[in-house]
Amino acid sequence: MSGPGETVLAVEHLTVRYGRRVVLSDVSLAADRGQVYALLGRNGTGKTSLIRCLLGQQKPSAGHAVLFGRDAWRDRRELMRQVGVVPEEPDAPAELNARQLSALSARFYPRWDAASVEARIERFEVPMTVAFDRLSKGQKGGVMLALALGHAPELLLLDDPTLGLDLIARNTVFGEVIGELADRGTTIFIATHDLAGVEGLADRVGILKDQRLALEGDLEDLKASRGQSLEEIFAAVAGVENGRLS
Amino acid sequence: MKNLRVDAKDPTPLWSQIEEGMRRLVAAGGLQAGQPVPSVRDLARDLRINPATVSKAYQRLTEAGLFEVRRGEGTFVAASPPPMGRAERSRILREAATRYAALAASLGASREEAADSLRSAWTEPRREKGEER
Repeated sequence: MSGPGETVLAVEHLTVRYGRRVVLSDVSLAADRGQVYALLGRNGTGKTSLIRCLLGQQKPSAGHAVLFGRDAWRDRRELMRQVGVVPEEPDAPAELNARQLSALSARFYPRWDAASVEARIERFEVPMTVAFDRLSKGQKGGVMLALALGHAPELLLLDDPTLGLDLIARNTVFGEVIGELADRGTTIFIATHDLAGVEGLADRVGILKDQRLALEGDLEDLKASRGQSLEEIFAAVAGVENGRLS
Repeated sequence: MKNLRVDAKDPTPLWSQIEEGMRRLVAAGGLQAGQPVPSVRDLARDLRINPATVSKAYQRLTEAGLFEVRRGEGTFVAASPPPMGRAERSRILREAATRYAALAASLGASREEAADSLRSAWTEPRREKGEER
């Protein structure tokens, strides 16, 4: 078991190349147990590749991705039991409803808490008996989040969810999910370009620019030392593109 | 905590906004000596911010002697909270004034206009308080 202050997720000098194209260059970062870490960057800055390395789906060209002290690539099978993932696009068998999806997931995880999954789905106001492909986008996102938490993961990874963090940012959900996860000491790692979604939520932020980690630190402390809001920090570090931030 | 507001978009760190807000509430009597304050978890939920941030603010307030933690009972305003020091007060005023001046400038308000608003703001809350009684 891991204790507080322990590093749950570490990326050490991570480099990823696809052929001659470098998508991540010598990136190092770390998240402690119970922290909410937001990895910020525009599209194409390497966020997805970094998540793929953490999930053991991509072998680093150099360096390591380490979860709970174990190599993410080498030990992916065992590690994934401790990790919940909310993918970029909500994706599940179209004809299954939320209850059936939970039953399906239960087969893959030794400790699956169907009751808490159903309770969360209800809290997210998603109908339990409607086929997945007939749900709204927001409801699909709710199902994905509830399923990702079904095996009480010690680490929750959010891979730039298309809907942003709207669901979590909703009052009821925020209190329940974030409070509950904080109590349990679950670490949350969010890759996103949704700055507003992580304001107030993230403990720690890292900003990727040009395949490198341009800035990392505790969010509120960075604001204090720079006298800037997150939006201003991001604009200063990642640059403004066509006058837009994302 | 209806009278405590924070703005995650503001450059002022959230723990500092909570700290200031609580100090203000205690100074204005909105929170009385010995009164319980919301739990970290409840306040984090109400304000929709990370509990660790609330926890940091509470820790700073406890270290400053404004709050006290009673084991198993929760967090309370200290029985005799220390009065705010002059330096502390002028620091808080200066910071808030800078934010106000920046806002006024961004609205295109003249100095005169901004000062007028400040003067009337000074009298209004007192009147409200009077009406409450």
